[in-house]
Amino acid sequence: MPNINTNQPQIIHAAAAYIREKLQGRKPVIGIVLGSGLGRLADEITDAVVIPYSEVQGFPVSTAIGHKGNYIVGNLSGKCVIAMQGRIHYYEGYGMDEVTLPIRVMKDLGIQYLFVSNAAGGTNLSYHVGDLMIIQDHINMMPNPLIGPNLDEFGPRFPDMTRPYDPSLIRLAQKIAHEQGIYLQRGVYVAVTGPCYETPAEYRFFRAIGADAVGMSTVPEVIVARHSSIPVFGMSVITDVAHATDDEEYITDGELIVKAANAAADKMSALFKEMISRLP
Amino acid sequence: MNIKQNSIQMAAALLKERLEGRHPELGIVLGSGLGRLADAIEDPLVIPYASLPGFPVSTAVGHKGNFIVGRLSGKTVIAMQGRIHYYEGYGMDMVVLPIRVMISIGIRGLIVSNAAGGTNLSFRVGDLMIIQDHINLLPNPLIGPNMDDFGPRFPDMTRPYDPSLIRMALRLGAEMGIHLHQGVYVGGTGPSYETPAEYKYFRTIGGDAVGMSTIPEVIVARHAGIPVFGISVITNEAHDDYADDYVNDGDDVVKAADAAADKMSRLISRMIEKM
Repeated sequence: MPNINTNQPQIIHAAAAYIREKLQGRKPVIGIVLGSGLGRLADEITDAVVIPYSEVQGFPVSTAIGHKGNYIVGNLSGKCVIAMQGRIHYYEGYGMDEVTLPIRVMKDLGIQYLFVSNAAGGTNLSYHVGDLMIIQDHINMMPNPLIGPNLDEFGPRFPDMTRPYDPSLIRLAQKIAHEQGIYLQRGVYVAVTGPCYETPAEYRFFRAIGADAVGMSTVPEVIVARHSSIPVFGMSVITDVAHATDDEEYITDGELIVKAANAAADKMSALFKEMISRLP
Repeated sequence: MNIKQNSIQMAAALLKERLEGRHPELGIVLGSGLGRLADAIEDPLVIPYASLPGFPVSTAVGHKGNFIVGRLSGKTVIAMQGRIHYYEGYGMDMVVLPIRVMISIGIRGLIVSNAAGGTNLSFRVGDLMIIQDHINLLPNPLIGPNMDDFGPRFPDMTRPYDPSLIRMALRLGAEMGIHLHQGVYVGGTGPSYETPAEYKYFRTIGGDAVGMSTIPEVIVARHAGIPVFGISVITNEAHDDYADDYVNDGDDVVKAADAAADKMSRLISRMIEKM
């Protein structure tokens, strides 16, 4: 037998059934993954039901700094949403089945869109701390979460990845940003395992192969969402920028970064809310 | 002897018993949709993988799971109708088990084929590409204690694909009017297809085609010093523009591979005749 968990569908269905019962008839149509430092959007969800991951059988407990581990279901911009306050990272030592479990549970609950966000390092030399980047495409350097027996009820053995991020959602974001005077970058996110940050040489490598930002999450979630044909919108907050040389004077100012990231997170929240309000 | 080596030898011993005195000198791995070359094998003996100890059952679309032993172009060959893929969830030991079993029963050459996506913008669906070299983005199958019976701890990879076999294929291709590209195959795990950004990445680093197999097999064959010839059927083309109507579809891939299979079968048959 392949060395992969073969009762994954049962784990997914059991978790979804537990959550469905807690939701008392609410049907979330949009899933939102809130990345590092971006959890504040969750505070704006009204009439919220909070379901800690630790309550749900089969879920691991997220340990990353700045991450909580809850599903928050409620109302946002007039839609019923399910937000993940905290995600499960591969670098924590979990298998890809666990990393992507919350996404597949949301798929089982019936979401029709997935919004993903993360904090990322800018490999593009023109990026600044606090920039927002629409993820137009990705390069996956993590293990593929679909390795193992295919879950036929979720999607095909060889899913297409021609448009990993939905072109019409990207256009909607650009339109709203233009209206609201929010400046957006648009680029390619390269996903690596971490947890060590990238070396200057790795930054150069990623830039050379066409990446604009680098991070340690998101892509496994996007791959399983696309496996199930769920349209995805992705956004990175640039919290760190490329330092192209091995300059001894380079230093990362923690406070400035936190400030910039927070300001960007507010812009991102505003953008997400407006996008959600305009979805059919 | 470690357990891995033991399971290879057990499977090889059982396979040998069932060959009724035949001695295959050449191994052939038939990739997605290319299994029809197996039909050209005369006096075939079909041995399902599942009947051999330690073997799994291959699950990929368009793949069967059999060894087929018989005569092709005057030589005794052993063909793998269907391979074991890493994306199915098997460990690398399992992925390369059939190759090591073929090595154990004495093959002296290996021909590998696959269906691949063309990252080279000049490639078209249905083209054939001689694999001149590869870039391995899968886990290395030689990780772990070295199997000294098979080869050295640090095998050379200067000529992963045999230059004289490549020259022979080019000459025969010219004679037979079969157009052949030569290029570099990038092996990724899959099973999701590549994004446009990944296609660009592979092109940037020198890849001409990308697929989800073959390299682990080639590495263990080269570990044992076996000359390898590799060929890819291009079953989809690079797409960089996020066009609204483009999709990558498993069934289309199998269809395109089928159409090119005939050309490839004729080429491989002639090569075997001349070897």
